Amino acid sequence: MANGTATLEQADPDIKAVQKVPLVLNQRSMSWISNYVSSIVEGKTPKWWYISISITSVLMMMCFACFAYLISTGIGVWGNNSPVFWAWDITNFVFWIGIGHAGTLISAILFLLRQRWRTAINRAAEAMTLFAVICAGLYPGLHVGRVWMAWFLAPVPNANGIWQNFRSPLLWDVFAVSTYFTVSVLFWYTGLVPDLATLRDRCKTKTKKFIYGLMALGWRGGNRQWRHYEMAYLLLAGLSTPLVLSVHSVVSFDFATSVIPGWHTTIFPPYFVAGAIFGGFAMVLTLMIPATMIWPSLRDLISPQHVDKMCKVILLTGSIVGYAYLMELFIAWYSGNPYEKFAFWNRAFGSHSWWFYWSMMFCNVLSPQVFWFKRARHNLWVVLTVCMCVNAGMWFERFVIIGTSLQRDFFPSAWRLFHPTWVDIATFVGTFGLFTTLFLIFIRFLPMVCMFEVKAVLPEADPHYGEDKH
Amino acid sequence: MKRILKHAPREKRPKMWRSLGELENDPVFEGLLTKEFPEGASVNQDGVSRRDFMRLMGASAALVGISLAGCRRPEALLVPFKNNNEWTIPGKFLYYSTAMPTRFGVMPMIASTVDGRPTKLEGNPLHPESNGGTNGFAQASILDLYDPYRAKKFTHKGQGATEAEFTAALAELRKAHQKDGGAGLAFLVDRTHSPTRDRLREEILKQFPSAMWTEYEPLGGANARGATEASFGEGARAIPHFERADIILSLDGDFLNCNEMGVGYARGFYPRRNPDQTGAPVNRLYVVESAYTLTGGMADHRLRAKASAIPAIAVAFAKQIAAKTNHAGLTSLVGAYPSPEGEVDAKWVEECANDLLTAKSRSLVLTRPQQSAALLTLVHGINEALGNNGTVIETAAVPVSKNQTTIEQLTDVLKAGRISTLFIFGGNPVYNAPADLDFASLLDSVPNSVRLGFFEDETSQHSKWNVPATHYLESWGDGRSFEGIYSIIQPMILPLYSGLSDLDILAQFIGLSKTEGPEHVQDTFRQLFSGGDFSASWNEALRKGFVATSAYPVKTPAFNAATASAIVSKAVPLIASGIELVFTQSPSVDDGRYANNSWLQETPDFVTKITWDNAALISPATAKKLGVKTDEDDQLSPYLEISSNGKTVKIPAYIAPGQADDSISVALGYGRKNVSHLMENVGFDIYPLRRSDAMRVLPNVEVKNVGGEYHFAVQQIHANMEGRDHAREGTLERFKSKPAFAKTMGMDGEPLPPNISLYTNPPLTAPEQWAMTVDLNTCTGCNACIVACQAENNVPVVGKDQVIKGRHMGWIRIDRYFGGDKNDPEMIAQAIMCQHCENAPCETVCPVNATVHSEEGLNLMAYNRCIGTKYCANNCPWKVRRFNFFDYNQRPLDELYFGPVVKKGMADSLQMSKNPNVTVRMRGVMEKCTFCIQRIEEAKISHLVAAGASSRNAKPMEEFKSACQQACSSDSIVFGNEKNPNSRVARLRNNERSYVTLKYLNTRPRVSYLARIKNPNPRMPEAERVGHINTEEEHEEKGHGETGKAHEATNAPVMNLNGGALKA
Repeated sequence: MANGTATLEQADPDIKAVQKVPLVLNQRSMSWISNYVSSIVEGKTPKWWYISISITSVLMMMCFACFAYLISTGIGVWGNNSPVFWAWDITNFVFWIGIGHAGTLISAILFLLRQRWRTAINRAAEAMTLFAVICAGLYPGLHVGRVWMAWFLAPVPNANGIWQNFRSPLLWDVFAVSTYFTVSVLFWYTGLVPDLATLRDRCKTKTKKFIYGLMALGWRGGNRQWRHYEMAYLLLAGLSTPLVLSVHSVVSFDFATSVIPGWHTTIFPPYFVAGAIFGGFAMVLTLMIPATMIWPSLRDLISPQHVDKMCKVILLTGSIVGYAYLMELFIAWYSGNPYEKFAFWNRAFGSHSWWFYWSMMFCNVLSPQVFWFKRARHNLWVVLTVCMCVNAGMWFERFVIIGTSLQRDFFPSAWRLFHPTWVDIATFVGTFGLFTTLFLIFIRFLPMVCMFEVKAVLPEADPHYGEDKH
Repeated sequence: MKRILKHAPREKRPKMWRSLGELENDPVFEGLLTKEFPEGASVNQDGVSRRDFMRLMGASAALVGISLAGCRRPEALLVPFKNNNEWTIPGKFLYYSTAMPTRFGVMPMIASTVDGRPTKLEGNPLHPESNGGTNGFAQASILDLYDPYRAKKFTHKGQGATEAEFTAALAELRKAHQKDGGAGLAFLVDRTHSPTRDRLREEILKQFPSAMWTEYEPLGGANARGATEASFGEGARAIPHFERADIILSLDGDFLNCNEMGVGYARGFYPRRNPDQTGAPVNRLYVVESAYTLTGGMADHRLRAKASAIPAIAVAFAKQIAAKTNHAGLTSLVGAYPSPEGEVDAKWVEECANDLLTAKSRSLVLTRPQQSAALLTLVHGINEALGNNGTVIETAAVPVSKNQTTIEQLTDVLKAGRISTLFIFGGNPVYNAPADLDFASLLDSVPNSVRLGFFEDETSQHSKWNVPATHYLESWGDGRSFEGIYSIIQPMILPLYSGLSDLDILAQFIGLSKTEGPEHVQDTFRQLFSGGDFSASWNEALRKGFVATSAYPVKTPAFNAATASAIVSKAVPLIASGIELVFTQSPSVDDGRYANNSWLQETPDFVTKITWDNAALISPATAKKLGVKTDEDDQLSPYLEISSNGKTVKIPAYIAPGQADDSISVALGYGRKNVSHLMENVGFDIYPLRRSDAMRVLPNVEVKNVGGEYHFAVQQIHANMEGRDHAREGTLERFKSKPAFAKTMGMDGEPLPPNISLYTNPPLTAPEQWAMTVDLNTCTGCNACIVACQAENNVPVVGKDQVIKGRHMGWIRIDRYFGGDKNDPEMIAQAIMCQHCENAPCETVCPVNATVHSEEGLNLMAYNRCIGTKYCANNCPWKVRRFNFFDYNQRPLDELYFGPVVKKGMADSLQMSKNPNVTVRMRGVMEKCTFCIQRIEEAKISHLVAAGASSRNAKPMEEFKSACQQACSSDSIVFGNEKNPNSRVARLRNNERSYVTLKYLNTRPRVSYLARIKNPNPRMPEAERVGHINTEEEHEEKGHGETGKAHEATNAPVMNLNGGALKA
């Protein structure tokens, strides 16, 4: 690269080529990458891991216990009431499913857009996606009154001749989320195969070798295998791309197709997708920044450049979300519909909901604006703080949409506030336990950075020095 | 009518037995049985709380074996169902006439029985005083029948006893009093209006001439009788004819409250309210009252006044009218009174009096029967001056019964220790007698006290002998209605537990034998209606439920000014300063008698919408004065300490708009302790402050705000319509100039682009298309429909905690909105049930097709298909869908949260009370109003059967009613086939006042509302604000003229928390 620059500048002193910062810092070699990423998996289990997983698995068990209580006793153990028939359950569902958007976006869309910086983060982001979708999937599955009858949602031919109601967005949800999860698992696993083979090849014990060998599906790294792999990965990327957009659009249809003021809004699909990417990237950073603090050398792979780019995505999507918030307000006023006007007025100034609304505004619209400044994007503590804000803000956003709209809709006589119970809180905290437990297991047993793809972005992987784009 | 009226005598050896011990009449078993229910068994609170109520319901029912023996027909008819007996079609209802005794006369009823057990009560539509409507108490009284907390065992001094022992004791008492001629004998009874009881009483007084007979009703109108007799002569009862009155003034009289007055009292009022009527003008109602009542809500002009100021206002009216009519009689009545000043709104009184004078002999002034005799008499005098007596008011000649004493006279004799035997039938004097009488300790001093009670209640705990009373559906009886029409109370089932009726005891006491059948009633019947074929006329009376010709003879009243002024001159001081305490009837528990009825406990108060509680109602201004601050969203309130004469009651305050300042209203009947678990911790007992000289108003009480936080279970938290157009009203003037004004109110006034539905709905092709209309003009919000729906549709009770959480299950709710000034607002009630939208938003969102549309336009719920996503309820703009958050039917109310660790199961007696044609829903499913689909299907089947081979459309389907419609005494709810242009519902749907709520959503509801029309008198103060509970669009319509300005001023929504946004 240095040569190329010199040549250009020599040829024409007016041309100043952009100094590209390499994606992998410190001129790490291919073998260093393999050794370092594998060593995290192969090394002795650190003490903090045990401590962490014991905490998170307790939380996870709390989540399961709450669900067991819920199923055995009734939905009433939550605070849901009339008119707030959906409360934290669906809020948490949308929250988690939103988080589950970043991974596939990074893997699929950025792959198709040839964003090479995605390689360092896509593995962890995809894993995060899967775990978030698992957390999300619990809620719509278990929030129904009669879980044991939930199979009615599946198009199983039956003697009664009753079919599903294909007009219901909730049914679309079932298909959208399950499809998304399936494709995400396939996509993630496909991308994992070459690295599993690397781990298999490095294993010292027979058991490990057997397990990793089984998981590697007989990957040998032959030319033909790579050719098939590349094709499969491309196809899956193509398949996932529309799903990234569709899942959250469908989730937003739950609200957009209803008649409730504050829900009945055509802006929802793009707004939800932008919000999901926004929240998802924040969650990726929330997980990866601590990882780079635990394993400082990871910073060579997940460099400030990566963080910088993700911060820019957050800034962009955060601004889209902010625009959507303002546009909702404008349309509510412009519609002339008193119910719509009231719904938004109530969100912002209603006696018990303003708190959520302005928290949401601060977290999602104001806090990412610091990313206009490069110094903020390069200070990991600032980035982490903003990401935490965004994580919280996205939860507030969902509660604002679901909770405050339902609390006060058409008939003032039916208005009633929602108060969460301890089960609501414990379940939600418990899903974080489930999420982090799964993530801890992931970083312990699987390579959290995609080794072979990172190697491909090393300068030495490119024999043409960037001159092959013709 | 039942085929065989005689029950076979019980066999010694039981047919059904719970153990071998019982089969063999083992004394050990008998002992166990009595030990199981010694006196005060349910009083024993060791580690038991209200939460055990539901479980105990089941347990106690099982212990006494009602699951086996309870569900039985008269044994003479006991035929196994495999042999089909006459009339009985399994699963089909049999209807019998009966009647329910109340303090204002019997209510004629039709009972639906299925498989030998009554499950539902309706008013008797043939009865001249009933239009088939009922009130909430009548609807809920069926639950009392199945209440396992009923008294079940005879006890003597706390020990279990048998009926035989009681009979023997009774005979001994009889013997003892035969010697003293009844000198030591007294009876204290509730009011039943039973001619048979009157006959037996006369018999007793014949045999025991010195015996005392006392009737006591804590909310009875004892003064009314004296006042009417003083005005119109002995035995007179004033019968107001509302259908003849153009102008009505009610001085603190809540005559539209069917719980308080029965449905017959005001049946003439509603037709005259209808602006579509031809001939007579729409009536006008003036109300003066201290707390908002149903009548106040219907008023065209309502004056807020302290209850203790009512006499002063009445005097002011009397003076105005006396002066303007120069009526000598009235002048003589009020001549001695000074002109009242101060709290009387002179302009209001003057204009109202002028209006009354424009309708001489077509107006009506009335007051509350519990008011003082002086006030009641004065009101008769006002009516006399207005020429209403004889035109609007008639008097009926009620048989005069002498030898009746008041409870004060009785307690005087008790204090003297002259009574050795006191019979107490019904009532609950230890709990509800005036506190100054100290009835409990007097009762303790009586050597032989015999208490016939439905519960082992406060009075039972102080009585020596306790006899379980039968429910009125378990024993023969009779009674007269308010106007005197005779009805037979026909039992529907043998007593579920052992028990006697008051007639049984009286008959035995005078030496007659106890009968299983109606012999005593038949004797009365023979006496009353002699001549003719007895069995034919008896059977006719049983079939119809009443004897039409038996009404008291009506006379033109002759006002006797002299005797009247003797009473009026003894009047009380006109105005009491200071804070007053007003004792009111509870719409849920009456005087306390329904405290164990969970349906009623969960039915919200008409005005405050509080369930499971009473409260000290105070006006916003008084609240400010007392420093009472409440949390509106969560309904938290501080406590007040109300003291008078050294007695103090601590009770939480509740801010009630429309309450008179410095006036506290507290409903009676709450705070009962040590009776049943259901009653524990429900409300606060205010009887300790009620004295015999202050039965309605206690002036000059001391009130202290002692802080604290009390959580009310309020069904409707938000009282303001927020400028929306759900409940619409207008003035008569507006209606006349633009009859269809309601159709263009609010959002309906602007031309909206037509909605286009993405989905096509299946065609509504069936010959019947069901629809409903609710007339806001006549709906007072009396809750009868709510309780009727609960009884008909097996709607579960959820308990106070769940109501606080917003999970009440009622399929109908009555929204009550206030508008205008928060201290003195207008009020409107609106019943909301499933709207059965043709383009239903709930249906499109259900993922499993559990809620779908029928060809008849019904929005159906398939409970078996429902998985409980709750999405439909979210998407329902009316929020009428109800979700089973817990297994409300299967779990004790206070163990809802215990999940799998407690046993499930519904009490047997409750299972008996269920309507077998309606599914009992499990947890996790959604439910809502079905338009009584079981009744629809029944009617359709009957129609098809009748049509036979001929075309089903050859004849129109027979009319039938939904449960809410049937219970509605004001005929506000009309249900029927919209497709039949001659049906009432079709005509009302096309009425000019008809509108649908939330029309812009294009859901095409099948429930439409008829706008309320107010008939204000423009000369009255603040007349411009009447009829404008939702006026924004009218304001625009009329431009910024003077009226517009007035609206702006009066509409300044003090209560409108968020209204500003609507005009953003």
